[in-house]
Amino acid sequence: MKFLPYVLRNVLRNKLRTLFTCMSIAVSLFLLALLYAYIEVQDELGAKSVNYHRIGVVHANGLTFTLPISHVDKVRTMPGVKAAIPLAWFGGVYKDDKLPFAQFATDPQFVMQVFDELTLPDAELRAWQGDRAGCVVGARLAEKKGWKIGDRIPIKGAIYPVDLNLTLIGVYDGPDSSDREMLWFHWTYMDELLKQSRNAAAGAAGTVWVKGESAEVLPEVMRRIDERFASSDAPTRSMTEQAFQQMFTEMVGNVQAFIRNTALAVVFSLVCVAANAMAMSLRERTREVAVLRAIGFSRQLVMSLVLSEAVAIAFLGGALGVIGAKILFGIESVTSTLLPIMPVFYIPWSTTIFLLGVSAVIGLVSGIVPAWRAARLSVVDGLRKVV
Amino acid sequence: MIPVKYNLRSLRARWVASLMTIIGTALVVWASVLAFGLAAGLEYTLNVSGEPLDMILLRKGATAETGSTVDEATARRVAALSGLATDEAGNTLVSPELVVIVNTARRGDGGKANVIIRGVTPVARKLRSEFKLVEGRDIKPGVREALTSRSIAARFQGAGLGEEIDLLGQKFKIVGLFEAGGGSAESEVWTDVEVLSQTSKREGGYSSVQLRTTGMESMTALADLLENDEQFALKAVSERKYFAEQSSAGIAIKIVGRVISVFLTIGAMFAVANTMYGAVASRAREIGTLRALGFARRTIVGCFLLESILLCLAGGLLGCLGTLPFNGLSTGTANWDTFSEITFSFRFGPDVLLQGALLAMLMGIVGGMAPAIRAVRIPIVNALREI
Repeated sequence: MKFLPYVLRNVLRNKLRTLFTCMSIAVSLFLLALLYAYIEVQDELGAKSVNYHRIGVVHANGLTFTLPISHVDKVRTMPGVKAAIPLAWFGGVYKDDKLPFAQFATDPQFVMQVFDELTLPDAELRAWQGDRAGCVVGARLAEKKGWKIGDRIPIKGAIYPVDLNLTLIGVYDGPDSSDREMLWFHWTYMDELLKQSRNAAAGAAGTVWVKGESAEVLPEVMRRIDERFASSDAPTRSMTEQAFQQMFTEMVGNVQAFIRNTALAVVFSLVCVAANAMAMSLRERTREVAVLRAIGFSRQLVMSLVLSEAVAIAFLGGALGVIGAKILFGIESVTSTLLPIMPVFYIPWSTTIFLLGVSAVIGLVSGIVPAWRAARLSVVDGLRKVV
Repeated sequence: MIPVKYNLRSLRARWVASLMTIIGTALVVWASVLAFGLAAGLEYTLNVSGEPLDMILLRKGATAETGSTVDEATARRVAALSGLATDEAGNTLVSPELVVIVNTARRGDGGKANVIIRGVTPVARKLRSEFKLVEGRDIKPGVREALTSRSIAARFQGAGLGEEIDLLGQKFKIVGLFEAGGGSAESEVWTDVEVLSQTSKREGGYSSVQLRTTGMESMTALADLLENDEQFALKAVSERKYFAEQSSAGIAIKIVGRVISVFLTIGAMFAVANTMYGAVASRAREIGTLRALGFARRTIVGCFLLESILLCLAGGLLGCLGTLPFNGLSTGTANWDTFSEITFSFRFGPDVLLQGALLAMLMGIVGGMAPAIRAVRIPIVNALREI
């Protein structure tokens, strides 16, 4: 510990070089923070959703097949079920939006019971329940689009052959980890339009979402639901919310492998960069290292001094990048402007700590060769050397 | 003009620093080019999928085949229109097709993805001019048999030649493998349209009608008729446009690739600056000598800049070469417009490699600029006195 000032002095000796090394590591680790957070956020959301003990029920043939609305009532009366709603992905187009948002047809009577971590003012909920063509949107979506209560929101159907003429009645909010970019409207409104156009899609609930009474009853409820409909026209596959999210992650393909490979290349590249800088600065200090050895510093001590210096520089850079990312993406408006395609994004603590560790390891590895060379230096040659 | 040989020899004299910098930049270019190659591959697949004179007819308002229905009577009326191309045997090139999406398990990782099952008539093959049966035989009408591409056969369980794939609870035998010039048909499983409509209980309707027109003029005229005539009221788009609009997955990959390359390039610039500052510092006397010999400041700045660029280009070249083993490697991701998997291959064309080389150049120029200017700002007398 008493050598800390010596190490820090050396870190700051060539300020420009240290600055460049730090910046190189900072910028790269900022990027890694974003990439890893993407993986981590999905895992965390999945893990968190366990607390809400929700079940998603989809058609056994997959999401492109829909379940009939009658399934919802049958599920609602099953033991262990607190509430059940239809949730149909409308997938329509708002104006000329290039980045579409999620629209769901659902049941206003029960939706807030199923998604009970979200909050909607009572007055707005009651008003929505009474207005067939009313809709409710998430706070982040409302902010992004600049919508206010009373605004008209026309949506053209792309999957369903009907167009919606919605009025904004309420804005729901929720914890940071919740999706606050959805639009909900009356399932019955969509169904009436479909019936008018005599479309075969009328009467379809899409998926069914169930709120279980507790986490323990979920497996039993899922089994009961799937058994109940096994021989019906629309057999079901029930899954926990976590499994449901997992399904989407799987569809995107092997993003994790891509991110890990990129990260590996980046880390290796940074080791080269930092080792190079370290080697350069030690080459300039050859004589000094020889003096240290001459006045009785052991090889191990010289080695650990150099290693600490390398770790200090890399850690400084890493901290700048990772904590910078953590702070920057902790600001809501920054996240929604820079990453409009991600409804939920933040840099989890686990990612922050992991990457801080990575930056220390980069420093350690980059210091090995220079430290070894410094420790092995012949005192006589070193003292004689002019740099 | 200072000979390039001087730079090359200088780089060799400081070979450890040069090598570290080359490896560092190579990895950065490698990671960026890999991401570019991914985006280019997906773009290529969507671009080659459309034929210039082909049109696809969908339900009005639908954005993809998967959300579209065209009834049998309308399809028959379309086939009787004029302005349609015919093949050598005199058959009109009109192909009513039924698309069903089936959630299928991938080989290996056990994840699931949606695969497009396309019900076709024989004429569908003629509308994909690159279509070629490469293994096995064609399907027989009225039997549960299917064709697929090599990439789907390799990616999904039960999709290999001679295997049986489970479609909506029925077993379909894969009897042949086809190629379609790398287009989106290579992400599909093909079977007889009648068999598929029975299996999926979607009798009496198709998802889309694809057709070939005799020329640009008849294409415009047909599109006008099909869109505006009451008895059709369809959405008629050219295939080129249809696929060009399915770009959401491509845009996401592109953005991610850009973000990765921007951050890593900036990080690498700092690293290059470090190396070049080191080079300048250790060659102060050389620079003084060059100045004393009468070389202009401009020449010396150019000389160091060239050295920096050479260093980075070597890294860039190495990085580009490193991506070549990935060329043609097939992968897949979710196409959110069709809600199904699209398979494509990494493509490192000249444009992608050029982008990598440009990144390397940029690192060299920006990273080398400040050190090069620093080199000529030391007064000659001081520089010569330095050891």
